[in-house]
Amino acid sequence: MKLRRVRAVARKEFLHVLRDPRSLIMGLAIPMLLLFMFGYALTLDVDRVPLIVWDQSATPESREFVERFTGSRYFDLAGTTDNYRTIEQAIDTRRALLALVVPTGFTRDLQANRPVAVQLLIDGSDANTATIALGYAEFIFAGYAREIRLEELQRRGGQTLRPPLAVEPRVWFNADMLSRNAIVPGLIAVIMMVIAALLTSLTVAREWENGTMEQLIATPLTGPELIVGKLVPYFCIGVFDLALCVLVGRYVFDVPLRGALPLLLGLSLLYLLVALSLGMLISILGKTQFVASQFAMVATLLPAFLLSGFVFPIENMPGLLQMVTHVIPARYFVTILRGIYLKGVGPTVLWSEALLLALFGLVFLSLAMCKFRKKIG
Amino acid sequence: MPCLATAARGETVTDSEAAIAVKLHALGKRFGDFIAVNRLDLDIRRGEIFGFLGPNGAGKSTTIRMLCGLLAPSAGSGTVAGFDIVAEPERIKEQIGYMSQKFSLYEDLTVEENIDFYAGIYKLPVGRRRERKEWVIAMAGLAAHRQALTATLSGGWKQRLALGCAILHEPPIIFLDEPTAGVDPLSRRSFWALIYQLADAGVTVFVTTHYMDEAEYCDRLGLIYRGELIALGTPEELKAAMAEELVEVSCARPQEALVLLEALPETRHAALFGRGLHVVVDHAEQAIPLIAASLEAANLPPERLERIVPSLEDVFVSLIEARDRLAAPVAEVKR
Amino acid sequence: MFARLKAMLVKEFTQILRNPKMRVVIFIVPMVQIIVFGYAVNTDVKHIATAVYDLDNSVPSRELVARLEQSGYFDIVARVGGVDQIGNLIDHGRVKAAIQINHGFAADIKGGRTAAVQVLVDGSDPNTARIVLSHAVTIVGRYSDQLLVEREVRRRGAAWQPPELDLQIRTWFNENLESRNYYVPGVMAQLVLIVTMMLSAMSVVREKEVGTMEQMIVTPIRRWEFILGKTLPFALVGYLNVAMVTALAAFWFDIPIRGNLLLLGVATGVYLLSTLGFGLWISTVSQSQQQAMMSAFMFMFPAMLLSGFAFPVENMPESIQYLTWLNPLRHYLVIIRGIFLKGVGLAVLWPQIAVLAALGTGILAVAIYRFRKTVS
Repeated sequence: MKLRRVRAVARKEFLHVLRDPRSLIMGLAIPMLLLFMFGYALTLDVDRVPLIVWDQSATPESREFVERFTGSRYFDLAGTTDNYRTIEQAIDTRRALLALVVPTGFTRDLQANRPVAVQLLIDGSDANTATIALGYAEFIFAGYAREIRLEELQRRGGQTLRPPLAVEPRVWFNADMLSRNAIVPGLIAVIMMVIAALLTSLTVAREWENGTMEQLIATPLTGPELIVGKLVPYFCIGVFDLALCVLVGRYVFDVPLRGALPLLLGLSLLYLLVALSLGMLISILGKTQFVASQFAMVATLLPAFLLSGFVFPIENMPGLLQMVTHVIPARYFVTILRGIYLKGVGPTVLWSEALLLALFGLVFLSLAMCKFRKKIG
Repeated sequence: MPCLATAARGETVTDSEAAIAVKLHALGKRFGDFIAVNRLDLDIRRGEIFGFLGPNGAGKSTTIRMLCGLLAPSAGSGTVAGFDIVAEPERIKEQIGYMSQKFSLYEDLTVEENIDFYAGIYKLPVGRRRERKEWVIAMAGLAAHRQALTATLSGGWKQRLALGCAILHEPPIIFLDEPTAGVDPLSRRSFWALIYQLADAGVTVFVTTHYMDEAEYCDRLGLIYRGELIALGTPEELKAAMAEELVEVSCARPQEALVLLEALPETRHAALFGRGLHVVVDHAEQAIPLIAASLEAANLPPERLERIVPSLEDVFVSLIEARDRLAAPVAEVKR
Repeated sequence: MFARLKAMLVKEFTQILRNPKMRVVIFIVPMVQIIVFGYAVNTDVKHIATAVYDLDNSVPSRELVARLEQSGYFDIVARVGGVDQIGNLIDHGRVKAAIQINHGFAADIKGGRTAAVQVLVDGSDPNTARIVLSHAVTIVGRYSDQLLVEREVRRRGAAWQPPELDLQIRTWFNENLESRNYYVPGVMAQLVLIVTMMLSAMSVVREKEVGTMEQMIVTPIRRWEFILGKTLPFALVGYLNVAMVTALAAFWFDIPIRGNLLLLGVATGVYLLSTLGFGLWISTVSQSQQQAMMSAFMFMFPAMLLSGFAFPVENMPESIQYLTWLNPLRHYLVIIRGIFLKGVGLAVLWPQIAVLAALGTGILAVAIYRFRKTVS
């Protein structure tokens, strides 16, 4: 491999990038856009769930009971009603996710020690939100029920009673359970994969399509020289994007970085190389820009988004699919990023992921080089 | 030089308006600061083969693109087939066929599929389609390659197929932008045979080229240089109208002779031509003895030294040289 | 009348179907994706890998751990003998939660004091952490209630019955709260967006880049004929994709389809109108395929994120919520989820369909307007 030739290719490629400001700007703007969207607009945190209430009893006790729900930060009162039709409509049109129906004899039956059933109707279509909202509702309800029982017991026994068990929750790494703290690091993996792969996936295919490859083939330039030369400018863009992500995460979104910064940067560069090599491989296999772009989408965006554990936990997937995720490089990088950012762990924990990433890079790059033929047709 | 253009226009004025296929008045196009086409006046008769010549970047393609409605002109006006090029480009498109210098059919479609596609685009009546398709295939000699992907065809075949698709709808006017660039001489010849056929059938052909032998085939020629039309007329008129005279010299070591002859005060311009030299002078009678003398003195005795009828190439080189001499002082002043 | 349009359609279809890689991209890839992602998109938190550190090792402590395990939410994968071991397991991601029961647990219960159960969760996945905690609190609370009642019964004799307050939960539309039922229709909508938008975004600009556009421009073809000729084949591809993917969703993943399939067809039509419209618009304003692809991506990724697919629109800041009205995916998601899971009809979904139709015709008109039959 002649360094001089690599440099010539790299310079040419830089010029392509600089002469096409729209692509360049997008290469830099997309990460910003995504970061800000996730930082400000997107959250999985479920709170202020809209709740509609039908209080058939309308006594001070029932009002106090309803107040427990609407007064908590988990629920927002989306309206009160006196029939099921309104409830149905509210849930159909997604004005409310839950409906709480307090029966007529709520207070009377409780005081007479007769069983009371409170109804909770929930729109289960968004199972995730529904599960969490249901958890909140059960939590509030159980607290109220427990109080009622203790009061009753105290009234009878005349002594103060304490519940036998209490949970002391301790949340490690992300004590406030802010989804932003988990999403921003994961996002870095997605952004870098997508940008790197998108930018590189067209570069070889474009030369084939425009016929300039024919000229290059006629020169003594070797495949590896061409590939490495082409990677250089995109690597620079990737490094810039990476720096941007880390800085914005740290200073704009206050995502704590518990681990070592050099480790984070080192592994990120490794991952960047993997992503670029994947894009290059796609470009070489795709031959036409259209096909290459489609494959880039399919092979990078969706897997990095859906199969990396970024949003959907890998443990929830069926065994076969969990095995599939092992060939998604983003998966390892999401683990690495969360490890360094949130857990503050070091190489002793992350060495296997780093090794696998390096292996992926090597495989992609050597595949790209061996698939690149200096032949036409 | 301007007299040429006037003479040619004088002729066309006598023709009726209906006999004019293309009429341009002060047509201009600028890209930013660059003036690609400057105040072009031109009339082209029906059934004429009009050759549009000029060096690369002179404004040939820009003009043809304006005529076909691909580019909007930035000044002036014009009509093609009686329709205004600014206001009615879509009407024009029904009347013309266009073939660009770059092959622009679909390479991933077969020969037949490309023809069928353009037959549909030009709304050929269903009854005529088969007939026209067979005509194009026969004309292009593609009978054995009907089902072949266009990408697999060689240059000459692609060329003829592109022409076939451009004239599928039998347009009265066709525009050919360097149609034979990169095509072998044999294919070029058969291509021009086709163009003659079309012209005989009354089709107006507007063709750009920089092959001088092709220019000789044209009924009339226009030379465009730096965006301006600097000559217009039949090949014979242009040759006859060359103000200077031309002397052909053959001798040993022509490179040395060139340096020598360029230095002579009588020489307007000298250039290597084949194995000899072409020297442009004002009066051949006076110049020939002087040339002979200076060559003898340098021990380069001429094997041949005589006045010849200029070829088109000579005419154009001389016109362009003259233009450059005219433009140079202007450029100095501007600076 | 439609001769030119027909010629365009024949040409486009031939081009799409001839390229074997293209066939794969259009027909095979979406099927594979819906199957893979159908399994991937699952936020149901069950069988959480849990470590137990039981210092008390008494009857009630063992009973508590057994109850946690029987609930199905917690899988006890490790029993450890020290806090540092818990840290190590969580660091490596081997467990997501740990239960620590200290000395004196049984004694506290017996003595009428409150015994503490420590539940440690890994907050790096906040969603899972939240659900883990709420399950732990519920299970422990239930055990606590039972212990209390047992103690009182022992104290007072068998006759006592505590007041009974019961929460009856009725889940609509998705009775088992399976997140897959919610996400798979969303994946469908995304796949259709990606395929149709990419196809259309590249379509016009490719002709520009290859040079065939020049020949097209000098023909008398009308702008709308050209644009429509580009749109319809991709619309058909989109429909085919929806049909294939819907069949897979219904028969492979058993996603219920409660609503009207005809309405789904109509809604898909207006959705495709807008995805193709945006794609063509991008294509007409781009100079190269690279630009078109980047622009399409610039549109698609935010569209996917701001659609409510994974991140509920209701949780977004209000200004962003208004912005999402411009997002065709957002409306289609409401429609497709409404039809699949809720079985609602036009009476509920008409606003979304109307917005999509307006968006689609609007953007298609812009694309036709922006498309110039000139070269630059």
